[in-house]
Amino acid sequence: MKVNRGTFFIVLGVTLVLAWVAFFGVHIPMGDNFGINIPGANEMRFGIDIRGGVDAIYQPVGLNRVPTADELEAARAVIETRLDQKNILDRDVTVDRTNGDIIVRFPWKSDEKTFDAQKAISELGQTAKLTFRDPNGNVVVDGSHVTKSIVAQDTEKGGYEVALTFDAAGKKLFADATAKLVGKPISIYMDETLITSPTVETAIPNGQARITGTGTLQQTSDLAQKIAAGALPFSMEARNYSTISPSLGAGALNVMVWAGALAFLMICLLLILYYKMSGVVACISLVIQVCGVLLALSIPQITVTLPGIAGIILSIGMGVDANIIISERISEEIKIGRKTQAAVATGFKNAFSSVFDGNITVMIAAIILMILGSGAMLSFAYSMLTGIILNFLAGVTASHLMMRSLILFPKLSGEKLYTCRTRRVAL
Amino acid sequence: MNVKKPYSFYAHKKILYSISIGFMVIGIIGILLRGGVALDIQFTGGALLKYTYQGEVNADDVAGAASEILGRQTTAQLTNDYVTHENRIVLTLAGEYGMSSEEQTNFLNKLNAKFPDAKFVSAESSLVQPFYGHRFLQRSLLAVVLAIILILIYEWFSFRKIGGLLAGLSAIIALFHDLLIAFFTCVIAGVPIGDSFVAVALTIVGYSINDTIVVFDRIRENRRVYPKESLENIADLSVSQTMTRSINTNIAVAISVLMIYVLATRASLDSVISFALPMVISSVLSIYSTIALCAPLWVDMKKHQDNRRNRRGNKPEPNKKAEPAKA
Repeated sequence: MKVNRGTFFIVLGVTLVLAWVAFFGVHIPMGDNFGINIPGANEMRFGIDIRGGVDAIYQPVGLNRVPTADELEAARAVIETRLDQKNILDRDVTVDRTNGDIIVRFPWKSDEKTFDAQKAISELGQTAKLTFRDPNGNVVVDGSHVTKSIVAQDTEKGGYEVALTFDAAGKKLFADATAKLVGKPISIYMDETLITSPTVETAIPNGQARITGTGTLQQTSDLAQKIAAGALPFSMEARNYSTISPSLGAGALNVMVWAGALAFLMICLLLILYYKMSGVVACISLVIQVCGVLLALSIPQITVTLPGIAGIILSIGMGVDANIIISERISEEIKIGRKTQAAVATGFKNAFSSVFDGNITVMIAAIILMILGSGAMLSFAYSMLTGIILNFLAGVTASHLMMRSLILFPKLSGEKLYTCRTRRVAL
Repeated sequence: MNVKKPYSFYAHKKILYSISIGFMVIGIIGILLRGGVALDIQFTGGALLKYTYQGEVNADDVAGAASEILGRQTTAQLTNDYVTHENRIVLTLAGEYGMSSEEQTNFLNKLNAKFPDAKFVSAESSLVQPFYGHRFLQRSLLAVVLAIILILIYEWFSFRKIGGLLAGLSAIIALFHDLLIAFFTCVIAGVPIGDSFVAVALTIVGYSINDTIVVFDRIRENRRVYPKESLENIADLSVSQTMTRSINTNIAVAISVLMIYVLATRASLDSVISFALPMVISSVLSIYSTIALCAPLWVDMKKHQDNRRNRRGNKPEPNKKAEPAKA
C-alpha cells in the first residue's frame, strides 16, 4: 500500500470518526423504515450483573422424568406469556432439552425501583390456568381437558390452524358450549390474559376442534403451545436463581467505566513517555481498538456483562503488548545502526511473528470459551475475540500505516524519536 | 554504542527454580493455614442472600433468627456499600443446595416480623443447586484443559525448529506457575473459587502463553542468526532482549486490573474483586515466570533430549552441542 504524508491524517481522522460513532452513536432517519441507526456506548445492552435483574433456572416440580420437548415448549410459552403480561420484553428465555429445564434472564427496566423479584420468580413458574370462556366470561371448559394441541395445515383455506383434542369429559363440555354459542366467540384465557377469541362456526360434538385463521406458522405454533400449557402435568419452580438489585448494578458499571478510563490514560502516559513517537502511534491505535470492540458489542446488541468488560480491558492489554513489541523492535534496529525508515520496516517485520503467535494462542482460548462457555463467560469470550481481531487491524496494520507516514516528515523522522531507554543486548 | 551483555539466567537457574518452589510452598502453607480451599457456591451449590437494612442490627442475632426460621445453620456479616451508602447484611446458608423463591419470600417475611425496625429488603440473592454447580465446574475445567491442549499443539507446530514440544511444555509449566499463583492468592485472601476464577484462569492461559511465546519467538530467531552458539547463551540472550517488553506489558495489564481492584473494593463489588485481585498478583509475577523460568527450563529439557539422542547413536544436530554455562 502506498503511503504518503497524508496517510497519518487519514488514519487519525478515521479514528476520531470511529470514536465519535462508538461513544455517541449515529441516528439518521431516512424515510419511515430505513435509516442508519448505530447505537452508542450508552445504548449498549448490559447484562444482569451490571443493570441488575433476574437469572433463574426453572425445573419441573413433581415429575420423575425429563419433560418432553413439547412439554418444555408449552412451559416456555407460559413463562413468555407471563413476562409479556408484566411488560418485561427485554429478556432471554432458553429451553435446555437435555436437562429438561428453562433458563430465564431479564434485566430491570430503567426506572425499576420496587420490583419484587422473589414474587415474580414464583409467579412465572406456577401452573398455567387455561380457560375457555363464553362472551359473558363464564368458564365453559378448562385447559386440563385438552389432551392435544398441535399445529396443522388448514386444508380448506390454506395456511395453518391449531388442532385441539379434548378428553371424554372435555368433549361433552365443549360440545354443549359450542352448541349454544354458534356464531359467537369462545375466548381462551391463560390466567387472566386473553390469548385468542375464535368464533364458533358450528357445534363440535366429537371433541376435535380447529382454530383457523391463526396467522403464520410461528404465530400458530405459539398459540398451540399456549393452549397445550393448560394441560401441562407439572408446574415449574426455580431453586437455582440469582437476583441483583438495580442500585448494585449501577455501582458495578461505574467502577468499570472509571477503571477503564483511568487505566487507559495511565497506559497512554507510560507508552508515550517510554516509546515517544512509537508510543503516540500506539495510543491512537489503542483508541481504534477500544472503539472497535465497543461497536462490535453495541451494533449487534450483544449483552455486556462484567466479565465481558474485563475481556475488553484484557484485549486492550494484548493491543498494548503488540505495540510494545513493535516499538521495542524498532528501537533495537535503530541501535544496531539502522536509519529510521529501515528500522521501522524491519522492526515491523521482525515483530510480526511474535504478535501473530501470541494472538493466535489467545484466540484459541477465546474460541474454546465461546463453544463451552455460557452466559457471562460468552460475553468475556466475545469481547476477547473481537479485541484480538481488532488487534491485527489496529495494533498491526493501522500502526504500520501511521508510522510509515510519520517518518516522511523530516522533523518527525529523527532516530531519537523512535528509540527507547531499553539497552541493546548482544552476545 | 551502548551494548550490554545478556544476563546469565541459566547459570543461576538453581536460585530461580528455588524461588518458584518457594512461591509454591508459601501457597501450600497458605492453604493449610486456611484449612483447605473454599469453593464458591457456584461450584458446590448453596445459598447466599444479601439484604439491605435500616438502622442498627446485630449480625449474630439475625444469623440466629435465620437459622431458627430456616432450620439451616446460617452465618451473617454486615457490609456497607460506599457507592449507594446502603447497609447490607450477607447471609450464608449452610448446606450445598438452593431454595425456591417462595421459600425465600416466606423467610424474608418472617425475618422482617422478628426485626421490624431493620426493614430488610432483598438486594442480591444467589441460589445454586448442586447439579448446576457441578456441571458448571466440569465445563469450566474442560474449557481450561481443552484450551491448554490446543495451544500446546499449536506451539508444537509453530516452534518445531527449536523442539516445539519442549517449548510448548516449558510454556505450560510457566502457565501453571501463573495459574497456581492466582489460585494461591485467592485462597490466602479468602476469595472463594467460583466463576470469576474461571475467567481469571482463561485470561491467564492467554496472557501467560503469549508472554512466553515472545521469548521462544526470539530464541527461534537467534538460533538462525547465531547457529554456532550454545543453547544456554541463546536462551539468555533471547530473554534479555525481550525482558523490557515483558515487564512493560505486564505493568500495563497490572495497572488496568489494579484500577479495577481499587474501585471495586471501594464499591464492595465481590464478583469484580474476586476477578481483579488474583489478576493483579498474577500479572506482576508472570513477569518472573517468563523471564526466569521458561527459557532455563527449555534449555534443560532440550539438553536432556539431545543427550538421549546422542546415547542412542543418533547424530546430534549441528548447533546442539552443549557447552558449559558461562558464569
